[in-house]
Amino acid sequence: MVLYNFKSIQVVPGSRDFVDVVLSKTQRKTPTEVHKQYHISRIRSFYMRKVKFTQQSYHDKLSQIIQDFPLLDDIHPFYADLVNVLYDKDHYKLALGQLNTARNLIDNIAKDYLRLLKYGDSLYRCKQLKRAALGRMCTLMLKQNSSLAYLEQVRQHLARLPSIDPNTRTLLMCGYPNVGKSSFMNKMTRANVDVQPYAFTTKSLFVGHTDYKYNIWQVIDTPGILDHPLEERNTIEMQSITALAHLHAAVLFLIDISERCGYTIKQQVDLFFSIKALFLNKPLIVVINKIDVRRPEDVPADDWALIQSLTDPAKGGVGGTQILPMSTLTEEGVSKVKDVACTTLLADRIEKKMASSKISKDLHRLRTAQPKPRDEKVRSVFIPESVANARLADPDTLNKNKVTLTPGQMEVLQEEQDDLEYQKGIIPIFDINLWKRKYLLKDDSWKFDIIPEIMDGRNISDFIDPDILERLDELEREEEALIEELRANGGDASDESDLDDENQELLDEIHARKSEIKMDRLLGKTGRPKLTRQHKGLDKDHMERTLTRMGVEEEELGDIMDDVADKSRDRSKSRRPSERSLSRHGRKRDRSESRGVSVEGRGLSLNRSQSRGSSKTPAPVDGEGYRDLPQKEEAVMLGKEGMRKRNKLGYKGEGDHHIPNLMPKHLFAGKRGAGKTGRR
Amino acid sequence: MRLEKCYFCGGTVYPGHGIMFVRNDSKIFRFCRSKCHTHFKMKHNPRKTKWTKAFRKLAGKEMTVDKTFDFEKKRNRPVKYDRDLVSATIKVMKRLDVIRERRKRAFYKNRMQGVRAREKMMQLKEIDQHIDIIRAPSALLKMKAKILENKNKIQSMETELGPLNPKPIKKSKPTASE
Repeated sequence: MVLYNFKSIQVVPGSRDFVDVVLSKTQRKTPTEVHKQYHISRIRSFYMRKVKFTQQSYHDKLSQIIQDFPLLDDIHPFYADLVNVLYDKDHYKLALGQLNTARNLIDNIAKDYLRLLKYGDSLYRCKQLKRAALGRMCTLMLKQNSSLAYLEQVRQHLARLPSIDPNTRTLLMCGYPNVGKSSFMNKMTRANVDVQPYAFTTKSLFVGHTDYKYNIWQVIDTPGILDHPLEERNTIEMQSITALAHLHAAVLFLIDISERCGYTIKQQVDLFFSIKALFLNKPLIVVINKIDVRRPEDVPADDWALIQSLTDPAKGGVGGTQILPMSTLTEEGVSKVKDVACTTLLADRIEKKMASSKISKDLHRLRTAQPKPRDEKVRSVFIPESVANARLADPDTLNKNKVTLTPGQMEVLQEEQDDLEYQKGIIPIFDINLWKRKYLLKDDSWKFDIIPEIMDGRNISDFIDPDILERLDELEREEEALIEELRANGGDASDESDLDDENQELLDEIHARKSEIKMDRLLGKTGRPKLTRQHKGLDKDHMERTLTRMGVEEEELGDIMDDVADKSRDRSKSRRPSERSLSRHGRKRDRSESRGVSVEGRGLSLNRSQSRGSSKTPAPVDGEGYRDLPQKEEAVMLGKEGMRKRNKLGYKGEGDHHIPNLMPKHLFAGKRGAGKTGRR
Repeated sequence: MRLEKCYFCGGTVYPGHGIMFVRNDSKIFRFCRSKCHTHFKMKHNPRKTKWTKAFRKLAGKEMTVDKTFDFEKKRNRPVKYDRDLVSATIKVMKRLDVIRERRKRAFYKNRMQGVRAREKMMQLKEIDQHIDIIRAPSALLKMKAKILENKNKIQSMETELGPLNPKPIKKSKPTASE
């Protein structure tokens, strides 16, 4: 059975949208960065990819459209004709054909430009080629605007077409406008078709479904038909004609007996004759509607005769046609009409089916064989003698349930039992032991074992292996070999590693001293000024202690201490006179003299620091730097005078003053912008 | 119920402990504690984090290849319960523990070989270089023999073990005359 789903056709975008979609897709899905310093092959491939991608997306999209729309030659002639009537076959084919051509042209453009791009020698050239290629493709697409717009409209209309299955059981109604086709449809199905008291309320085909004999029947309501030649019929009527021509259905020709529809019975009968060709080979029923307004008995005799002529082949009617009266208002005769229509169609379909060649395939499947006993002989079940004897020997086997159940079956039984209990009002309790009873193990006594899972931080299940013992044996052998090898190598030869005692002591001492030095450095880092050794003088005790610690022996120590004491005495002696003589020309230290001292003391390296030249500054003498003492006294007095005011105000001296910022910039320079804080 | 391995540190995750993270590609990560989880969230590499099993294995601090490890394997095939097999397995596991421990010790010993000697060499060098901060030059003259002995020892050890942390040779800058 072919079912057409015209609803699934994808939206056909307008040409401008089409171009936008494809170009933005190209932009999104292909790399966007290229630089002229790239290798030329890379630049080329970059642009070639863009061109190829655009072509591919155009190709895909157009193919999708071409594929989605139904080919008129492939679909059921009913739909093909309907499409022709509604959208004009030529136009439809032309539009699709144009898209197909566009697709091929785009492919060709891309092919050409890709060929050119292979020889692009710079980024600029490649880019221009790409631009040209995309430009030509897009121009081509823009020209397809009218076809695309047309196809989009067709798509929208197609999606709204009723889904008529041309092959199923169908009732089809036809007749003049306003004879009651739609009302009958509403009575039969739940389609809820619009019914109005003017002609051509129904402008297209409508489908409803009804049930009869447990089957679903398709009921098609068609627009009214007027009696004129085929060429003059409009689109609305043509739909009815198409349906009548192509659908194998029970046709209900409705006649308004009351003539309220605006057409006389004569006109209606004429219509019947003019479209008679369409009723051939179909079950036909003439339905006389609106009998609530005018009973058939009240119809004038000649009109009645006209109606009767419809069934008379001699008078040009169709043979085997029934005439049924009905009123959709009072529902009189409605079900009868449905009944008759359905049964005649069913009979017709069965007849057609039986006549077709395919039926032989189905018929032989339906045969049921019914064997008859050929004689009176009893043919009972055959049980081998041995089995029968065994059964007799062991009577238990007869009593026992001979069927051994699989666990799955047992489970089902259990569930059934649970269900029964549940129905009785007992809530079945899940008991793991009941469950465990069903285990199938090598030994039944294992069934209720608690299976260990974890031991010593490991999963037992990870170790379970049928040949674990063999593997352990192998490991044990390997282990033994290893131990043997170790023993052969002389066991564990421990490296002699420890220092001897003397070295150990030295090392400890070094470590202690190092940490001491470190601590001294840390503690000395106070940042406060320190007295130099010259000012502090010599700490003899400290020196003695240090020397002792450094391993200098007592005799030598005594010598050194004496030596040092001598030298310091010498220096202080020699210094006095020289200082006095030097005071005349400034307080410059006499380097040669101090050096002389240091040369003298070079005997011991320990005293090296002591030998460094003294920088002791003698205290300034009053009156120094002035012409005479009175001048100096005056200067001192003036200085004191100058300080008096400052002392009053609590200033420290000349430098202790404050110049206020009279015009702070931040208060006078306006607001700050987005720059740095310094700028305004 | 299973004991799992922590994704980060490689420790055992006992039932009811730690946290499990399932990434959207359905890979499962288990963590033994929030420490490991946090490290994972910060995208730290367990192979570069010193305290993890992964680091220790990678750095050669622990055995990685050994027959005792082959026994433990996740088998995704259900085996019907067999009391004999399980009890045998448990016995084997205990025995395996012993063997594994012994091998671990041997491995450690092997790894530590020569380390003590190197240490000693370092100590001797320290003594040799810094003796002058605890002894006056005059005192040093008296222990000349000991110093010489140490120097010889260092030299012999150096030939045996190779120099201690050999320094990269610096290229001398070309002098002005060159």
